Amino acid sequence: MTMIAPDPVAPDPKVDRALTRRRWLGRLRGGSAGRPVWRQPIAVVALAILGGWLLVAILAPLVAPYDPLAQSADTYAAPSATHWFGTDSLGRDIFSRVVHGARLSIPLALAIVSLALLVGGLLGLVAGYLGRFADEALMRLTDLVFAFPQIILAMAVTAAFGPNTRNAVLALVIVSWPVYARVIRSAVLSMRGDDYLNAARLLGVGPVRALRRDVLPNSIGPAIVLATLELGNAVLLLAALSFLGLGPRPPAAEWGSMVALGSQDLSMWWVSVFPGLAILTVVMAFNVLGDALRDRLDPRYAKGR
Amino acid sequence: MSVSPRRLRAGALALATLAIISTTACTAGGSGGNANGGEAKTLTVNTSFVLKTLDPGRVYEATGLTAVHALYDTLLTFEGSDVGKPVPALAESYEASPDAKTFTFKLRSGVTFADGSPLTADDVVFSLNRLKNIKGSPAVTVSELSVSKTDDSTVVVTSATPNPNVPVVLAMPSTGVLNAEVARDNGAKDGADAAQGDTAQQYLDTNSIGSGPYVLASYEPESQVVLEANPNYWGEKPQFERVVLRNMDVQTQKLTMQRAESAEISLDISGKLLDGLPESLQTSGVQDTVYFLFLNADPGVSAVTSNPKFNQALRAAIDYQGIAALYGQGAAPGAGLVAPAFPGTLPASEASTRDVAKAKALLAEAGLTDPTVKFNYPAITYKGVDLGTVATKVQGDAAEAGITLELNPQPLTTFLDEMRSGKSPLGFTPQSLNYPVADSLINNMAPGQATALRSGWTVERADPAIVAAGEKVTETLDLAARAAAMQEWQRLMNQSSPYIVLASNSSTVVATADLTGADYSAAGWQVDVAAVGRK
Repeated sequence: MTMIAPDPVAPDPKVDRALTRRRWLGRLRGGSAGRPVWRQPIAVVALAILGGWLLVAILAPLVAPYDPLAQSADTYAAPSATHWFGTDSLGRDIFSRVVHGARLSIPLALAIVSLALLVGGLLGLVAGYLGRFADEALMRLTDLVFAFPQIILAMAVTAAFGPNTRNAVLALVIVSWPVYARVIRSAVLSMRGDDYLNAARLLGVGPVRALRRDVLPNSIGPAIVLATLELGNAVLLLAALSFLGLGPRPPAAEWGSMVALGSQDLSMWWVSVFPGLAILTVVMAFNVLGDALRDRLDPRYAKGR
Repeated sequence: MSVSPRRLRAGALALATLAIISTTACTAGGSGGNANGGEAKTLTVNTSFVLKTLDPGRVYEATGLTAVHALYDTLLTFEGSDVGKPVPALAESYEASPDAKTFTFKLRSGVTFADGSPLTADDVVFSLNRLKNIKGSPAVTVSELSVSKTDDSTVVVTSATPNPNVPVVLAMPSTGVLNAEVARDNGAKDGADAAQGDTAQQYLDTNSIGSGPYVLASYEPESQVVLEANPNYWGEKPQFERVVLRNMDVQTQKLTMQRAESAEISLDISGKLLDGLPESLQTSGVQDTVYFLFLNADPGVSAVTSNPKFNQALRAAIDYQGIAALYGQGAAPGAGLVAPAFPGTLPASEASTRDVAKAKALLAEAGLTDPTVKFNYPAITYKGVDLGTVATKVQGDAAEAGITLELNPQPLTTFLDEMRSGKSPLGFTPQSLNYPVADSLINNMAPGQATALRSGWTVERADPAIVAAGEKVTETLDLAARAAAMQEWQRLMNQSSPYIVLASNSSTVVATADLTGADYSAAGWQVDVAAVGRK
């Protein structure tokens, strides 16, 4: 049968928008199938860990018993009641430094991911919607970035601009935006011919408005999942950069640079192990949470189906 | 999408667990024992290779110097750890003219190269002329010297300016004597235009044509260099028939030495890394490196660092004892610019001390409230010490006196570029001498000299007493008096120069208990492998 007549009832864009906007939120709550995120034990643990770290970061001055930058004559003290995680080569309290490190790593990771999502998202949206030259140009640009291993490119960018916190964040945004651009672009492409978009256009809705009100809400879901996964990666890449001396400047209490300091003499295991564990827990938690979110929002990955 | 979330996650844990993995890897790694199957006649020397060539005329790097010293004899040499007085080698005696310009060397008779041909004055003249004229990195030490022979066993070296340290220069491995005939056959040139014409490096990297206690058996610059005893050696034969220089990173050296039983040496375990080594191992070290801050004396670069009161205040603010502790075993608080290994060093009793109250008073006097300075340093580990850790300690010390230092770690090349441009307001650098004479410090760091100008230290900005004291060192030809003049110069430098000496630390030779003669030498070759024997 061939379709000759238009649908008897043209979809009301408002109704459709409301429906689609709820689509991914609904899945999050368990609307389609399976258990919602907060009923999965491992995701709950991850959430608890992240909540804990967030609290630690916010309350750092109250949690940390010492000034994270204060040096003392008590160098390389092993973990004890006075210094829970021991002290480093300059007699600084490692527990206090790990606690204050959360204030750097977590907000910076959030900043990196939100900036990358913003830049990549906007470019992906425009490319997917406009197609043709804009699309082609953007895809080649992402190819260019993907051609390099992330950490190598980030190192090159930081080394070129000079090592400090701002440039490290900038470098990591530069290496991570293309992922979002591609995800959003493909989502936009898949809905380009959708009836409700055509209908909106027929009603005289301009491209900016269409992008904002119709396309974005329907394509942002997968990008949000990806962003959660990428948060862990951002913490890790930032730590790697500062491990290499390309991150926040010393004496800042950054986990990666703390691991680097300890790696000079591994017989003082506590100097690098505790910041290493901090990185481990945060990265694991973001990954587990991202996985759980993806299971909810993308049925292809869902377990047992 | 080319980066899958799964792959991201797989990579994600790698660095997070780095610390833990590498801690456990320690117990699993390491080769242990003598790597050459317990051959009793092989000495193994582990070092992190800094090796570009084994051509004596071009050798400038630590590993190359160790090998070249064993392959080629020089006119004079140093024994053990003593770098105070050169002793005879190819020259059985020498005479210096009173004006310290002419040095006459009498060659030992009966010396042959490893191939059996006799070593004559012609070979010495050829080798020294080649060193000077190919203008490689080590040529700077002989640029003022010219050499000639009066007969087959007498060589005369003349210096354009009075220089009582010519004998020391002629003990350096780069002055090693090559078999001139074989060298010429393989492209070596000694004429004034040798810099363009000499093509012998490739040959000399893989063949040794000297008269030293060892000959080169194999050269693999990435992994190992093997030396074998010279069957025709003119002197006392070395105890070990083979010496294997193995390329090994410093952490692995430490693990290897923890298990080594016999005939094994490591050259790079120093400072904090010495902690935790078994008691049975023997160590030999000499404090031959100083670490200092340089403040820019040019008000155009920094109004703060060029202020003499700030200079004094920063000197008083630093905890020299605490910094020496960061360097671990074999380190000492800074005294003067000349490291303790060399003649003319200041005694340990004159080490700088801390006085925070004085620092604060000086700052108040100068009307400086919360002075803030950018503090450049190279982000490297040098002789087992992370320079960033030391810089952070300096920052902490300065903060207690009310001085804010903004730490600015730089890649080594960036750091050097900025230092050379004279734009660093405050910097931190190690300094080792390229031959064991402190004169070069005056030639470089006295007011108006090349290094001093990088800190904006012109003669006009300097205390005239310092200028005079520096000139006095150069004019004094008697070595003992010269050393005393050098001390006086350093005392004045410690009062108002742009240099603040933080600490000195040592390079260390770590050896298994069965060895003798494994002494660290600050003369460049680190250890004289031919002098190493068994108890």
